[in-house]
Amino acid sequence: MNQTVQFLIEVVALSAPLILAAMGGYFSERSGVINIALEGNMLIAAIGAAIVGQAFHSPVLGLTAGLAAGVLFSGLHWVLAQIYRLDHIVSGMAINAAAFGSANLLDRRFTDPRAGELPALPVWIFYTLAILLPFLFNWYTRSTRGGLQLLATGGDPVKARLMGVSTVRVRLAALTVTGLCSGLAGTLLVANARYYTDGMTAGRGFIALAALILGGWRPLQTLYCCLAFGALQALQIQFQGSSILGVQLPREAWYCLPYLATVIAMAGFLGRTRAPGGLGRH
Amino acid sequence: MSGIQKSFGKLRALARVDFTVEQGSIHALVGENGAGKTTLMRILYGAQSPDSGSIRVFGDPHCFRNPAEAIQAGIGMVTQHYSIILELDCLQNLALGTEVAWRFNRQALESKASELAKRMGFEFDWSQSAQDLTPASAQKLEVLKLLWRGSRIMILDEPTAMLSPADSEALFTSLKTLTAEGSTVILVTHRLPEVLAHCDQVSVLRSGEMVLESAVAATNMEDLADAIVGRAFTPTTTPNSRAQGDVMLSLRDVSVRGYRGDLAARGVNLELHAGEILGIAGVDGNGQRELVQAILGITPLAVGDILWHGRSLYGCGGQERIRLGFRSIPEDRLADGAIDSWSLEENAALGLQRLTPMASAARIDQPGRRQAAQASAKRLSTRMESLSQPFESLSGGNQQRLIVGRALALNPNLILAFQPSRGLDLEATARLYEEIRLECARGASAIVVGFDLDELLQFADRLAVMSFGALHLPEDGYCRDRATLGRLMVASQ
Amino acid sequence: MNWRLPLLIFACTALIAGAILLTGTSSLEAVSTLVKGSLGSPSAIAGTLRETTPLLILGIAVFLALQAGLFNIGVEGQYLVGALGCAAIALKIPGVLGLILGCITGAVAGALWAIPPGWIKAYRGGHEVITTIMLNSIAGFLTTALVAGPFKDPAQQSPTTAILQGSSRLPWLYNSPELQVSTGILLGLLLLAAFAYWLRNYVAGYELRATGKNPRAARLAGIDDKRVILRAMVTSGAIAGFAGAVQVLGYEGRFYADFSPGYGFTSLGVGLLAGSNPLAIAGSALFFGILGKGSSSLQLLGVPKGISSLVLGCSIAVAAAIRYRRLADREES
Repeated sequence: MNQTVQFLIEVVALSAPLILAAMGGYFSERSGVINIALEGNMLIAAIGAAIVGQAFHSPVLGLTAGLAAGVLFSGLHWVLAQIYRLDHIVSGMAINAAAFGSANLLDRRFTDPRAGELPALPVWIFYTLAILLPFLFNWYTRSTRGGLQLLATGGDPVKARLMGVSTVRVRLAALTVTGLCSGLAGTLLVANARYYTDGMTAGRGFIALAALILGGWRPLQTLYCCLAFGALQALQIQFQGSSILGVQLPREAWYCLPYLATVIAMAGFLGRTRAPGGLGRH
Repeated sequence: MSGIQKSFGKLRALARVDFTVEQGSIHALVGENGAGKTTLMRILYGAQSPDSGSIRVFGDPHCFRNPAEAIQAGIGMVTQHYSIILELDCLQNLALGTEVAWRFNRQALESKASELAKRMGFEFDWSQSAQDLTPASAQKLEVLKLLWRGSRIMILDEPTAMLSPADSEALFTSLKTLTAEGSTVILVTHRLPEVLAHCDQVSVLRSGEMVLESAVAATNMEDLADAIVGRAFTPTTTPNSRAQGDVMLSLRDVSVRGYRGDLAARGVNLELHAGEILGIAGVDGNGQRELVQAILGITPLAVGDILWHGRSLYGCGGQERIRLGFRSIPEDRLADGAIDSWSLEENAALGLQRLTPMASAARIDQPGRRQAAQASAKRLSTRMESLSQPFESLSGGNQQRLIVGRALALNPNLILAFQPSRGLDLEATARLYEEIRLECARGASAIVVGFDLDELLQFADRLAVMSFGALHLPEDGYCRDRATLGRLMVASQ
Repeated sequence: MNWRLPLLIFACTALIAGAILLTGTSSLEAVSTLVKGSLGSPSAIAGTLRETTPLLILGIAVFLALQAGLFNIGVEGQYLVGALGCAAIALKIPGVLGLILGCITGAVAGALWAIPPGWIKAYRGGHEVITTIMLNSIAGFLTTALVAGPFKDPAQQSPTTAILQGSSRLPWLYNSPELQVSTGILLGLLLLAAFAYWLRNYVAGYELRATGKNPRAARLAGIDDKRVILRAMVTSGAIAGFAGAVQVLGYEGRFYADFSPGYGFTSLGVGLLAGSNPLAIAGSALFFGILGKGSSSLQLLGVPKGISSLVLGCSIAVAAAIRYRRLADREES
């Protein structure tokens, strides 16, 4: 019994950053903005939270800085994609590169490896948010005016404009939420590890994107996918080194599973899910 | 609306048109493609501004700068491109853009919506996803959207184009309910039976001029058809009705699916002889597009067979048909026929890129291509600086000249032209047909799809009419008779 | 007057200058160090050319896909599987035969790795960016696992293959103690010349470009656009795999875990920056090669390696903004 609870907590801990980032991706992609920059958003938020948290010895300020950094880079995506009309993929790539670069620069310049553990808010706050947010977002898109405008913008921006929706503003709002969520995810990574390491997001932003796609761009299904990915990882840690059916699988085989599942889903073998119709369109 | 005038460049779309609609009536606006119906309606609902003229709604003068202002004044339009967003359900689509509270109160909205629908005799499952709606329900939802926004004047553009006869009847029944309550409906349509059966008033536009305004009760099918196609100008030049050559292309019971999955062309039978120009008249959207694409080998056939010199073209792809001498003048030159950032030379090779003077084996033959491109450009005297200038730097007319020249290049055997005179002036149009006839004299044949009956009558040897996906071939002796063709064009199923 | 583009360029320049300033170095000093570190001495030049080679070949792969309207973000993964495949063969078969077979294996492995995204894009409508991102991660894990397992050199502690012997390596083009230039760069340039020639002079190149520019017009011109897309993706993958092979045979002499320092992503910048002229790939590859080599000297000055990533991001944004400016202007009018 105790072991089961332990395992479940582990699953939540491992999937919480994925869920938070995926929820960020949910808002962005539901508004029609393709977002491969979740990874960069998370990383820049993590370094922001680490530096400010360390400088002021304040976990709250750290969190604030993390959120602000996430929103800033997510806002950049909006500027490039909406104002400069860049292809969303190109814009996302540029932002990822800029985020990796900036995080590396800031890390070398400002973090002090001798300073010891970073101050951080208790992680259960993040875990609770991670579990609640999908339900909240699910309710939001179904039952509010903002949610309706979000769906309309992502479904068909041209028609939405015709019906009087300001799609540019809706997308700005959506990407702000994306920044907040991926900022939370990045801050959580720091709060969990209590220190910052270069490239500590380790592809979690892309796994979150995979979960979003596997979940058919729906919040609850995305939550389940993230939990499944977390569970896979937890199992991998548990069974590390032991053999299954006489074959000793390298741990990389486990890591591959979420990505592999996404590729198979994209090929249409796991049933077709409908992507928002306005993805990538102006 | 009075004295409405609108020009696009040199083209005069509307010439001082007066248009009056009585409150509480169903008013039909009919005319051929390009007669100016859509322009007039777009001006009425604010999507376009007139060059001159004034609009009065319920006696008050108005000048709409955008559709939102028109909606404010109670005017709404349902276009052929629906405004329904597939991702949303019916209720969400209905309410989008009109929400007042931050909360989307489903229950309250739903009861309000049901009440409105009931008044119209509609029934909706409000949580049904819009992508599952039938065309008829989608049309009804569009009408409800206008009512929801408080429209008192509703413009419906070809509302029955995608509806079954039963659904059309139901729609008209509800439109009558509406007008009985004081709303006004303007119906833009091609279908005269509909006009005669359901409308109160009718106005006919022909090339930008209002040629007939009358109560429906005071007119009949023949008068309307004559007014639409006009009888002022009957061509005296009868193109050579020369002895017919061998059958080149034959279509046997050909049916083609449209992009919605329904049969856009149905049971088409046709024999095309060497040396003739066949004109296919008809109202836009009656299956001409799908038929042409099927002949070109781009869209597969649903049923039937296409034979070329007696041999089936089944399994023969677009590239092979080009090798057989199939050429096309596409409907939309920028979307389908050219790559605007490329040079004229590269565009002159598009579609012919694997044929002999353009290429030798897998390689492009640069001098050969330049010569062929030069010839294509000269064919209709494309005005250009050099072959290396980008296609987009040409004017629309010159672009079309090059596209036409390309379709006539390298010994075509079958020319499929879709509105080939688009963007050309009268002189160039005459040149265009002259050149097509030249190729036909050599042994080719041509199919010209057009929406301008006069043009087809003037230049084609034989005319057929496409309507509701069926190809009607008038009997011998009537295939150039304007009245017969006009009736076939506007007749219902 | 369009203020947007100048503003973006200004913002990017300011961002980079600010970042350098932040590290306590003056911009001028940084630039001179960068130039000196990459072009200032024969050995620096050799290092720059070494850095340029994979970027050049991968840039061709990216460019080819872009011409067909595809974003092959998957070059990173295709590069990795190509490199490992080549190392595995070249270790087994020594000599010239091994070199040739190694290159072929690399290209085939890269091509195979590009089949799923190409097929899914052409026939299933799934966006190639998502699938290639996923396959990049899988390639990373797969090659790491293989080089830690079956292909590991038992004599080594870290996960790496054995080192290739001299006869199994690409010969030096120029070899003196200060300046060693591998034939790898020559292979890259030859490939570029061949590719540019093919794109201009072959009907298949014409059809590829037509499909990328306007798939509808291409279909009407008798081109099977789906097949073109699949072929373009697979060819792009083969070139990326070939880049991996050249890196193994020409420079590294082995395959090891974390083989690519992000060449795949930098090469996206190379391809985007080249615009529509294939020969410009050489220039943009050199630009990023200088940046890559020079930033290692900057590190000695206390400017972290991240600066090159930042420059990459900014150049991608600016290059794309220039390319899309016309479109945005047109839509506005």
